[in-house]
Amino acid sequence: MYYPKSKAELQEIIRAAREKGTPLVPVSSGTPHIHGISANEKAETLDMSKMNKIMKISRDNRYARVEVGVTFGELIPEMKKNGLRLNAPFLPRANKSVITSALEREAVLVPKYQYDYTDPLLTMEVVFGTGDDFRTGSASGPGPYEELKADMVSPWGPGTVDYQRFIMGAQGTMGIVTWGTLKAELMPTKSKLFFVEAEELSVLTKFTNELLRYRTLDDCIILNSVNLAKAFSDTAEEEQDILKRAAPWTFICRICGFDRYPEKRIEIYESYFADICQKHGIEFKSAPFGNLELAAKIDSMLWDCDRRETYWKVKKGDVREILFLTPPSKVPYLTETLKNAVSAHPAEDVGITLQPQVQGRAFRIECDLFCKSSADVEELAFNAETGLLKNGAYFDRPYSNICQEVYSIDPVGTESLRKIKNIFDPDGIFNPGKLCF
Amino acid sequence: MSLSREIYNELAAIVGSAHISDKPHILAGNRAKTPDYPMEYKSAEAIVRPGSVEELQAIVKLCNKYGIIFAPMVSGVMPTAFASRPNTIIIQLSRMNRIVEINEEDRYVVIEPGVRHVQLYPELRKRGFSYTAASVGPGGSVLANFTSTSGDHHTQHGNSRANRYLLGVEMILPDGEIIRTGSLQTGSGWFCPDGPGPGLRGIVKGYNGNHAQFGIITRIAIAIDPCKGPAEPEMSGISPHHTVRMNTPCSKVIIYKFKDIDHLRDAMIKTGEAEIGSTVIKYFYLPATLMMTDSANDFWKMWTDEHKAELTMPLIVHLATRSEEEMKYEETILHDIAAELGGVRIKREYEEWWENHMDFFMIVSRLQSVLRLGGGWAPIKLASDSVAHICEVGKNINNFIHDFTDTGKIFDAPEDYQIIPMEYGHFAHIELLIMWDRTDPNVMKGVGEFRAASRQTDIDNHFHAEMPVFLSPGSMQIGPLYSNFHIWLKQLKEAFDPNNVANPMM
Repeated sequence: MYYPKSKAELQEIIRAAREKGTPLVPVSSGTPHIHGISANEKAETLDMSKMNKIMKISRDNRYARVEVGVTFGELIPEMKKNGLRLNAPFLPRANKSVITSALEREAVLVPKYQYDYTDPLLTMEVVFGTGDDFRTGSASGPGPYEELKADMVSPWGPGTVDYQRFIMGAQGTMGIVTWGTLKAELMPTKSKLFFVEAEELSVLTKFTNELLRYRTLDDCIILNSVNLAKAFSDTAEEEQDILKRAAPWTFICRICGFDRYPEKRIEIYESYFADICQKHGIEFKSAPFGNLELAAKIDSMLWDCDRRETYWKVKKGDVREILFLTPPSKVPYLTETLKNAVSAHPAEDVGITLQPQVQGRAFRIECDLFCKSSADVEELAFNAETGLLKNGAYFDRPYSNICQEVYSIDPVGTESLRKIKNIFDPDGIFNPGKLCF
Repeated sequence: MSLSREIYNELAAIVGSAHISDKPHILAGNRAKTPDYPMEYKSAEAIVRPGSVEELQAIVKLCNKYGIIFAPMVSGVMPTAFASRPNTIIIQLSRMNRIVEINEEDRYVVIEPGVRHVQLYPELRKRGFSYTAASVGPGGSVLANFTSTSGDHHTQHGNSRANRYLLGVEMILPDGEIIRTGSLQTGSGWFCPDGPGPGLRGIVKGYNGNHAQFGIITRIAIAIDPCKGPAEPEMSGISPHHTVRMNTPCSKVIIYKFKDIDHLRDAMIKTGEAEIGSTVIKYFYLPATLMMTDSANDFWKMWTDEHKAELTMPLIVHLATRSEEEMKYEETILHDIAAELGGVRIKREYEEWWENHMDFFMIVSRLQSVLRLGGGWAPIKLASDSVAHICEVGKNINNFIHDFTDTGKIFDAPEDYQIIPMEYGHFAHIELLIMWDRTDPNVMKGVGEFRAASRQTDIDNHFHAEMPVFLSPGSMQIGPLYSNFHIWLKQLKEAFDPNNVANPMM
């Protein structure tokens, strides 16, 4: 295990590993590592958790720059103090690295603030497999980091290549990120939460698709009853109660107002929301199944991370996630395909979350197979993934065995990725065995 | 050097003899058209016009076989679309001009390179959709706009620059192989640009496009959104004396002027924080005056009487809302912000001029209609960062521009830069537009000196005010200042274009 505390230490470790041919696997978050750490038994772990400084939070320019070891548990309160919020994933674990989450293109809660799949990560510093450091976008220069006057928030380039896109989603195979700049949003001064319950998912996705075209909503998420119960319960009894009373699908959304005339903004946007609900014959409520206490709990938890002793996804011991992206038109079909594919798993242990992303142009569908050990459900999950892939699901973040299926579809594309890997990590020391490398 | 007849005949066999030419008058008509760029104007050896991806792929493979350089072109707006060295053929893509798919449910369109704004925009507008289009005018290639230009545009305050809307891409690599990025790579459709895992999309475009240095893009999907305002704007008159209006109470242009860039910056930031406004822009006051006038006399009168002194710091705001109530809400906030920062509303007739020319906010043909008519011009800087930093860059222009404006080397318009926030003020783009008398043979030296001074000032101040571009001798020089990007760029180029045939600039 290596625990670098600075870029210089990290470069030294990488150069030594390169000389010895030692594979390195970066880790920045605390346990549990749901997608596993390494596919390579000889690899040594590069634990980045000691690089955990919050470097800058700018209220005026709405960003935060943090080292890779900074967790949601640490950053969210600091952002709040500055009147800011992160566009974060749904209830991430408190010890999860904020930068790793963004690098992995994890789904975020507010699609209207996400203009690209790379959002909210703006710029970064990375050390490549050669030991050279590099900064992306407007952090690239001119000159050394310490002397730059820019806020380093522009994500593109430098020049005609988007280097950031080689590093994001690469699961640590292209380079080791030391810090990143994250887009932040103003903390609303007022907000209002709405719930829509449905027996059929297609009802919700159709109207969500229309709602998001007009940027009416802030938070936006659809949960099946299992994930609603798992995420927002503190006891087994509470979980069972929610599971029993909740509709099969619950759509949760929020409308916000900011410093200026917040009530008026909410009133106007609520009228748009109501119009679209009416058009689709949908009734919205202020609490799921009339449970105001649960609504208040959801309200307070949505903008935070999971600070409970046991992360909500591993209450049963372990979880195997099936993650994919799809455009709105395919959501009902692929969700049905998914449900059929995992029907052998107990229904009360199949959690499904749908998050519209990038202004609602796509949905991240996440299936959580709650289990004692993910190894027990691996075959089922893999078969489900294979079937979904054949039916058009996009595994943009492939983990474990599905990688081989994903990368065998387009050999030219896969070979092109290897060419890029060969430039930034010429000796293949970063996370060998992952993805197609 | 000219192509051998054998190679010419092989190319002709691919595209058909009607779609290839090496006639001197055809080649002469396809040299770089912008005489303001200090480059040697070369003729290509031939021009070929493929009609399909298969033909294009065969041409690229042939170029590799014989070591022929290729430069793709559609509208020829950029000098990089022409031959810049011997042994080059131009691949004119205008025959590949199909709108392949309009997907209203998933909000994207798939287009070929030859599709022009004038072709796509009305198709979408009548369906109630729009897309982000930069100031190239209706004849520009939509694909080139998204993949080759910076992609900044005047309405990006309420959305973003074109990079954010480029989805799946199909591209012929320099060696003739075809790649498909993002969700296309696994046959999952056009909707997502990234992954699986790391994204090949990285070689398609960075801050700017690579102008075919990594291959030729054959089809792209771009994201579309519901258009603001009615599907059919109200048009009257004959160009250039035409008007394009949004006949709705939910569209309004309001212009405030501020006493300096600091106050204008704060107004931009606060407008973004409130998430109001479709367009927010500090616009070039020199081209604005050109757009508003019909003759040199009118121009000089308006410029000297008013604009030069009065419109140095204008904040042009286009409010486009979904209801009159929302319009009232946004107007109230805008007026509050202006009042807090000492903004002064300009004459209503100026606001009306913008309201009468909504094409500025759509295809932006207005700007192109004036720039190429008279003097030499060039955009300088072209970078983005926070609104605050970009305004600091703008403020600094005054520290070096007067040596050039006061001596007549460039037009005396020291505040002629635009700043356009994007994503409700998370970032902003800057562009300094200089103009000069291109009939004066001595002036190019001064223009060159100005460009150098501008760049050096930014380097000295460590301002992120000019993004390096292609793999070129210039990039090799400044690369060490920008994280040594030139080293990585060169390696990428060598890996993907081993024969150095894809529009090389080195």
